[in-house]
Amino acid sequence: MNRQELSRRKFLLVDDFSEFRHSVKKMLQSLGVTDVDDVGSGNDAVEKMSQKTYDVVLCDYNLGENKKDGQQILEEARFREIIKYSTIFIMITAENTMTMVMGAIEYKPDDYLTKPFTKETLYNRLEKIIDKKKDFDAIEKALANKDFLLALKICNDRITNKPQNLYEFVKIKADLCITLGDYDEAEKVFRSVITIRNVPWAVLGLGKVMFLKGNYLEAKDILHDLIDENRSFMEGYDWLAKTLEELGDVKEAQNILVRASEMSPKAILRQKALANVALKNSDLNLAERSFKAAVGLGKTSCFKSPSDYTGLAKVLVEKKTPEKALTILNEAKDSFGSDPSANLQTAVMSGIVYKELGRLDDAKKSVEEAGSLFESMKGAVSNDVAMDMAKAFFDLGLNDKGNKVMQDIVRNNHDNDKILKQAQEIFNDANLHDEGLAIIATTKQEIVKINNEGVKLVNQGKLKEAIEYFEKAAGGLPENKIINANAAQSMLMYMQKFGKVDRLLYQVRNYLEKIRKVDPTYKKYISLLALYQKMVATESKQ
Amino acid sequence: MKDIDKQTLDFSTMLASAVHDMKNSLGLLVNHLEDVIEHFDGSDKEDIKLLSQLQYEAKRVNNNLLQILSLYRLENSLYALNIAYNPVNDLLDDVYIQNKTLFDYKGISLERDDCSDLCWFFDNDLVCGVVNSILNNTFRYTLDKVFISACEKDGYLSICVDDNGEGYPDYMLEESSIDKTEISFKTGSTGLGIYFSEMVAKVHKNKARQGFISITNGGRYGGGRFCINLP
Repeated sequence: MNRQELSRRKFLLVDDFSEFRHSVKKMLQSLGVTDVDDVGSGNDAVEKMSQKTYDVVLCDYNLGENKKDGQQILEEARFREIIKYSTIFIMITAENTMTMVMGAIEYKPDDYLTKPFTKETLYNRLEKIIDKKKDFDAIEKALANKDFLLALKICNDRITNKPQNLYEFVKIKADLCITLGDYDEAEKVFRSVITIRNVPWAVLGLGKVMFLKGNYLEAKDILHDLIDENRSFMEGYDWLAKTLEELGDVKEAQNILVRASEMSPKAILRQKALANVALKNSDLNLAERSFKAAVGLGKTSCFKSPSDYTGLAKVLVEKKTPEKALTILNEAKDSFGSDPSANLQTAVMSGIVYKELGRLDDAKKSVEEAGSLFESMKGAVSNDVAMDMAKAFFDLGLNDKGNKVMQDIVRNNHDNDKILKQAQEIFNDANLHDEGLAIIATTKQEIVKINNEGVKLVNQGKLKEAIEYFEKAAGGLPENKIINANAAQSMLMYMQKFGKVDRLLYQVRNYLEKIRKVDPTYKKYISLLALYQKMVATESKQ
Repeated sequence: MKDIDKQTLDFSTMLASAVHDMKNSLGLLVNHLEDVIEHFDGSDKEDIKLLSQLQYEAKRVNNNLLQILSLYRLENSLYALNIAYNPVNDLLDDVYIQNKTLFDYKGISLERDDCSDLCWFFDNDLVCGVVNSILNNTFRYTLDKVFISACEKDGYLSICVDDNGEGYPDYMLEESSIDKTEISFKTGSTGLGIYFSEMVAKVHKNKARQGFISITNGGRYGGGRFCINLP
């Protein structure tokens, strides 16, 4: 990069200290940059970024007490995709601060710059990052488009050439293998790095792979060693806690998360995890404290979620203080406005709280409101929320409505044993053991039948009809991976025969993405993805 | 007992935020000074010399603050060690650029290796801090030459700073005394720089091997030679 190239770039400067902004602005101007905006707060920064496309954001980490900090700005910008994948985000810090490094790991700035710095240092850094960013441009673009196979291919090509930054490509490759569900390959890559050196990310990666493969005991040992050797490597604690939970040692999982959150009190996602584990352990005081922390941190974070409020309300109900729970739910309503998913969750919880308060009419009203919201947003409700909702219905004796919600859950997850088991437990808790067994069994059968009908059409060569059939079925079963996979497959078969169709390609992509979110390890997913990639790459028949 | 603990915690939090504040001010001071020096460029040599002396002192204070803070964090396991695979040239670029102008003003020739193909595992911020602090030291004691070099040797990355001054005093050359370098308020040698370097070297581990520093006389220019060796 040369200075002329730099001068064309659009800069945003974020710092609460106007003197500092002035000084950096002057540095940039003397480097020839003409387009520099500067703001003094996180909210202004987010607003600016959503209005204008910046090439480089220079952002101070510490923007004052109880204000959005640099990490939260970065998270929001990337999470809400208000900056481009190619935008360079540089965090300016006074020193290496733990609280900063411990935000959400998947949202890392492109570089850190320590205050104070001179013009030369700034230029030198910018030059390096811009060149580096160019180096990763193709991969980042593929990742932004969720084209994971292409990203993997680029990685492999680069690795063969043994570049200077070899390990960065190796790391991306291994992470991609995890995303794509190819755990064996990921394991191989991580192990090959570890034979050279115990690099924390590779050890973590190996632990993660063991977890995902279900080898929890091995995962536990690896992750334990990792945090013993790297006490400040927060992600290690998160995965160790998850592993312990799977092993049934929820108490120890809680201990691990307590240790981690003491070191990183500002990490909202970790506070949520801790709150949920504490709730499982019936450690109500800790659960209350952690949910409160999550609610507080959520005020300046894009990771704020209604479940922080409803979780806190749940704890307050269990502590026999339903009035306090009601106050929290009202706060949630104020805070989330007309967000339907938030309204659904607060309505469900309100029902439970009202019941506890003995206001049965209000309770029914709330839960019924939740029911109609649920109907209107079908497919966009997570299993957890749906199960909470069914529980609330059963709690209030509205068994028909509860059954219907449960049926929906089973329909979308008819081959997921873990979810089906949870579903049966909910029936059991509601004293509906036999009814539950019957509902789960018939619903499963119903889906199998639907699927078989479609497959029959495919086998008869009636591809057009099959596509129509599966599209409709997938619309009603948005999270059912088998139906989604068959919808994608019928479309791909059609295109193999009659050539590419943009609309179908687009649909296939959507179906594949849905499957990936539900279960990236689904065997059929990988083969369909490969077929899709091949299809995209072929010349159109004209 | 509990109260005392609480007090220490509050005091260190206070210290940390005070340091944060001082660093902000120092940052501005250093940047303004740079502007002023640029403004004076070409005019009176004496003025520039005086100003660059000011700049040197400001950077020295800043370095010290940074080291104290890093040490505090390292010793309390609060430092997020970030050992990544870094191009060694990037590190040399950084420290060279940060110090070159200042050395020029004092008439010291600062030179460096070019090691384009060399990459190594280390925490860039910490190692940068070490080399900066050593350069800061040689700025005072060298005659007119300083050289920064880096190479791989026996499975270690060795980054060295050579000068043509009188060399390190005897007590510093005795290996056993490095750990408890003499603190002298008269000479201004607090031992901080060396202690910091030792700590940084030690946190760099690769399986059974650990980093270390070495201080010798002779070297490239017959003066002092400092090396940090990282496995």
